[in-house]
Amino acid sequence: MAEIASLSAAVADLVRDGDVVALEGFTHLIPVAAGHEIIRQRRRELTLVRMTPDIVYDQLIGAGCARKLIFSWGGNPGVGSLHRFRDAVQHGWPVPLEIEEHSHAGMANRYVAGASGLPFAVLRGYVGTDLPNVTDTIKPITCPFTGETLTAVPAINPDVAIVHAQRADRAGNVQMWGLVGVQKEAVLAARRSLVTVEEVVDELEPVPGGMVLPSWAVDRVAEVPGGAHPSYAQGYSERDNAYYAAWDTISRDRDEFERWVERVRSGEVVRAS
Amino acid sequence: MTTARRSESSDNGDDVTRAEVAVVACAELFRDAGEIVASPMGLIPSLGAKLARLTFAPGLLLSDGEAYLLDADGQVEGWQPFKKVLDVVVPHGTRHVVMGANQIDRFGNQNISAIGDHARPDRQLLGVRGAPGNTVNHRTSYWTPKHSKRVFVDAVDVVSGVGYDNAHKAGQAASRFHDVHRVVTNLAVLDFDTPDRSMRLVSVHPGVSVDEVLEQTSFPLDTSRTTETRLPDAEELRLIREVVDPKTTRDKEVPS
Repeated sequence: MAEIASLSAAVADLVRDGDVVALEGFTHLIPVAAGHEIIRQRRRELTLVRMTPDIVYDQLIGAGCARKLIFSWGGNPGVGSLHRFRDAVQHGWPVPLEIEEHSHAGMANRYVAGASGLPFAVLRGYVGTDLPNVTDTIKPITCPFTGETLTAVPAINPDVAIVHAQRADRAGNVQMWGLVGVQKEAVLAARRSLVTVEEVVDELEPVPGGMVLPSWAVDRVAEVPGGAHPSYAQGYSERDNAYYAAWDTISRDRDEFERWVERVRSGEVVRAS
Repeated sequence: MTTARRSESSDNGDDVTRAEVAVVACAELFRDAGEIVASPMGLIPSLGAKLARLTFAPGLLLSDGEAYLLDADGQVEGWQPFKKVLDVVVPHGTRHVVMGANQIDRFGNQNISAIGDHARPDRQLLGVRGAPGNTVNHRTSYWTPKHSKRVFVDAVDVVSGVGYDNAHKAGQAASRFHDVHRVVTNLAVLDFDTPDRSMRLVSVHPGVSVDEVLEQTSFPLDTSRTTETRLPDAEELRLIREVVDPKTTRDKEVPS
């Protein structure tokens, strides 16, 4: 059953050095504040997992929290590259970053397998590309029914999944709506999970298209209004497009980035713009 | 500002920009497509898809690449998040994706992963995203705003989207639904309609010579049937300038 906790206590309890950690979210509901808390608590050697790593992963990587990234697209959406990510892969700064590259479909299916308690997923993609040569977790498999050669990818079962949602009730049932990605699969696949929410309420009013993560699937709920900034929470906040543009400048320069990290570590509420 | 030269095939009274020619070339990707989901990545392909829908491809469904189906004005007309895409769209022949390419080779292999060694690249790119699945499951085209030898290379560093030679080598699982349709650039339109499925120069944009395209391409191109890319007609020009891109954002991607 989920326990309501502060963000700092939840991260301290759930995220350990060396863990496989997935902070999921797609354009909307990205758990950025939780990422900053991981930076503040100076976690190290994490394997970060995400279908579409964006600014918060650039920040975690630049702050030296990660040794490996499992992903299918990494960029500053609508702006360009992630400069800290590129610096880590290309130059090993501040620490070398190993990458495990998959396709979107491969990542989504890996989470689904993890959530389903299955050891791997099977799909048609990857054949004909170079990915099987550069990514160890892509293997050919023969269909036992048709003899066709397909591709197997192993389940992802993160040590910790972290997502952001609109709200939770006091029992820790979580409700989210609007554009969702693989949050449900990531949480169900994970050994431990943390959900940051815009607000904790007495009762969850049903919302069209809404999804509930039951309390039993969640370990900690932390109330963090604006915790998705600079992404947004439908019904609560708008996307801060200027932050994404400003991040391009901050992240290009190691010194400027380090000043930014110091501001995060000092507990200042940091916004790039 | 230089502009593409006028052509007798156009009845418009003023000069057409290169960006406008590229928008129409991207629109032409969807001619006779029927009722499919078009997923154009990048500005010029998006403008082209909108133009196609407003003119000769009214059945086109446009996605915003995230969760919504849009009409040509950008109004939401349906909700289609990730899972619906997997349910509805991936089944074959119902989608046409237009992607970018940091590198592309003679057989249409595309690289958006890394330049150099994958483990420690000279340039880490954005990542393969959906390309390994897109290219072996439904029609795919490419758009590149800067036709150069850096993009049109002899061999790509990391095959992300599958080309004809690799699809053939990999067999049924890759070749069954494989369909790399065209490559549109700021200079030309190319396809793979040759006996060995190597790249062919379909047309050069008005004001561009065949030699100029060959100079900017690392590998030889079949130029035996090369024509000139058509200009927009008067109605298309009006739609581009007044409806789909009144702020002229197209000129930033393809300067005249």
